[in-house]
Amino acid sequence: MGIKKFIKSVQSTLGLEDYKNEGKKKSLKDLLKKLTSRKKSITALLKTPLDKKEENRLREELEIISLQIKKGKKILYKLYAKK
Amino acid sequence: MLIHGVYKSLFTPIVILLLSGSLFLLGIYPDISTILGGVALFLIGMEYMEGGFKAFSGGLLERVLEKFTNNTLKAIGTGFFTTALVQSSSLISIIIISFLSAELISLTSAVGVVFGSNIGTTTTAWLVSVFGLKIKISVYAMPMIITGIFIPMFLKESNWRGIASILIGLGIIFLGIGYMKEGFETLKEGINLAQYAMAGYAGIFVYVLVGAAATVVIQSSSATMAIIITALATGQIDYANALALTIGANLGTTVTAILAALKSNENGKRLAVAHFIFNITTGVVAIVFIYQLAELVDYLATIVGIGAKDYTLKLALFHTIFNVIGVLLVSPFITILVKFLNTLFIPKGSNKGKPKYLDDAVLPLPSTALSAIMMETKHLYENAFDIITRGLNLKKKNILSSMDLDDAVKDLYSSSSIDIDDFYNYWIKGLYGEIIDFSTKAQANMPPEYIEELYKLKLANRDIVEAIKGTKHLQKNLLKYTSSRNEYIKEQYNDIRKGLAELLRSINTIATTDEEDVIMLLLSKAKIHAERYDIITNGTLDRLIRKGLITNQMATSLMNDSDYAHSISKNLIAMAETLFIDIGSDLKKLHEDMGISDEEAKSIVHKKDRL
Repeated sequence: MGIKKFIKSVQSTLGLEDYKNEGKKKSLKDLLKKLTSRKKSITALLKTPLDKKEENRLREELEIISLQIKKGKKILYKLYAKK
Repeated sequence: MLIHGVYKSLFTPIVILLLSGSLFLLGIYPDISTILGGVALFLIGMEYMEGGFKAFSGGLLERVLEKFTNNTLKAIGTGFFTTALVQSSSLISIIIISFLSAELISLTSAVGVVFGSNIGTTTTAWLVSVFGLKIKISVYAMPMIITGIFIPMFLKESNWRGIASILIGLGIIFLGIGYMKEGFETLKEGINLAQYAMAGYAGIFVYVLVGAAATVVIQSSSATMAIIITALATGQIDYANALALTIGANLGTTVTAILAALKSNENGKRLAVAHFIFNITTGVVAIVFIYQLAELVDYLATIVGIGAKDYTLKLALFHTIFNVIGVLLVSPFITILVKFLNTLFIPKGSNKGKPKYLDDAVLPLPSTALSAIMMETKHLYENAFDIITRGLNLKKKNILSSMDLDDAVKDLYSSSSIDIDDFYNYWIKGLYGEIIDFSTKAQANMPPEYIEELYKLKLANRDIVEAIKGTKHLQKNLLKYTSSRNEYIKEQYNDIRKGLAELLRSINTIATTDEEDVIMLLLSKAKIHAERYDIITNGTLDRLIRKGLITNQMATSLMNDSDYAHSISKNLIAMAETLFIDIGSDLKKLHEDMGISDEEAKSIVHKKDRL
């Protein structure tokens, strides 16, 4: 039990108490960055003339990515709120 | 090294034999009885320590061995440090064999670790010489054992239980050394073994053989070294003969390595050959140049401050030096050695339906056992991929290429049906059974967090098998209707084939990419596309029947087969989510939170249908 207390105090001294959440936040931010950049490129592509099949594919991807970004941002807000 | 398989099966009989011998000789030769009891305790202590390190490291040891072995020098260094730390070359060797089987490291790196481990194992001699003989360590034995017994009563975590086992193991080893020392000291008063000392090369050969034989019998070079050092410390053997015994102990381990390799898979056998070549080369060089090496030891001993009469420390130095020389001699030829090893033990005939990664030696290591099951499940999926593509009458190469899927569907694999049952029996059934059997055995040694992952892997295996069964059901009508003259039913069945082909291609991309956004996008897309098989909800079936485009019989078949296609998709998506996203990665959790749910997938499809 003493060891647990000791580890906790070391973690707090080094500012590592929330390291799991910090890691998740970083991964989420990276993922959101990638998804946003993909969303931008799809939106740009959709402004160019495309055949119907390709347009449908891109619209579907855009819808999925938008939904994922929305969910990701919600999780990120929650993580910040926790802190 | 590499003695784990044989050692585990012989451990109990050896200990029982030693203890029986100890009891039998108690009245006649109490000193020999004490030595035998000491050796038995030493072996039991080693066993406790190894078990403790397995429980304590919690996968850390495996991670270190995986990360720091990407070049030969690093591999040798890692082999040395890890073996010196855990004091068990057999533990390192089973991890390395399993990594090799799981293709987590190359054979070159594995050979490097084995070489390094040979140097690492010489630290036992140093520990026995420095702590075992210079200090009365048996005094510390009891407090360590008692602390080790009490720890699990208050601290239940597996890490603490591991530490407890290490303490108990060390305590028992200390006791063992103490008994051996005491036995040799009292033996000296009765019989003086030193009178059998032999000079010259004849003596060297005799003592090399004795050292090798002792190691083969005890199955532990560390225990042999402990006996040699304590016998030397009490003056029962002379220094020159102790050097020969040490070489013999090193050579003796090769016999146990060969015995162990008989039970191991081809990777284990190749590594055992590398170990054999290394030890034989090192042994021959050490025998030929034994006098020069002894002079080198004398020279180095004065530099590092070891006294001229401190033979036990000089013996430990000799043990390390000749292993280092062995590594220096053999390492430059490691590439040639690996080339040679790769020509050995090539499996004859088709091994497609046999396990490639499951090795009973890794069962006590939860993290490694889980990796082995994961790799074998991927192997099962590879086989399933081949069966499903054939069942759908598609060509594998077309799925794996970027060919337009409309064209891929037109390029048929065969004009007749293939027997999925045959393929299932040859490629899946046995392998699936082996995975489940291995998982059940591995589960016995796993903490709860690993069992949860194992459960998911078992489900992934079941999903793969279910997907094949679904393909089998689908196949009959698929072949019939894709060659039908009714264009409408033909189009529907080709649409099913195209959808499943797209899913297989997506899973292949998921399995090979590191881009998290691509993985998440493809999995979500796959979920949405799986909803296309709900032909009742999306109105496809109604439209075809109402307009009289297909017969009632065709409609019934299409409805049932769409259900099969839907189940196959669901099974494969669930399998991909478990198998192709790293267990420990943040993406695993993020995908669970951010991925498209079934309801959302349905809603997206309905929205599309309404447009």
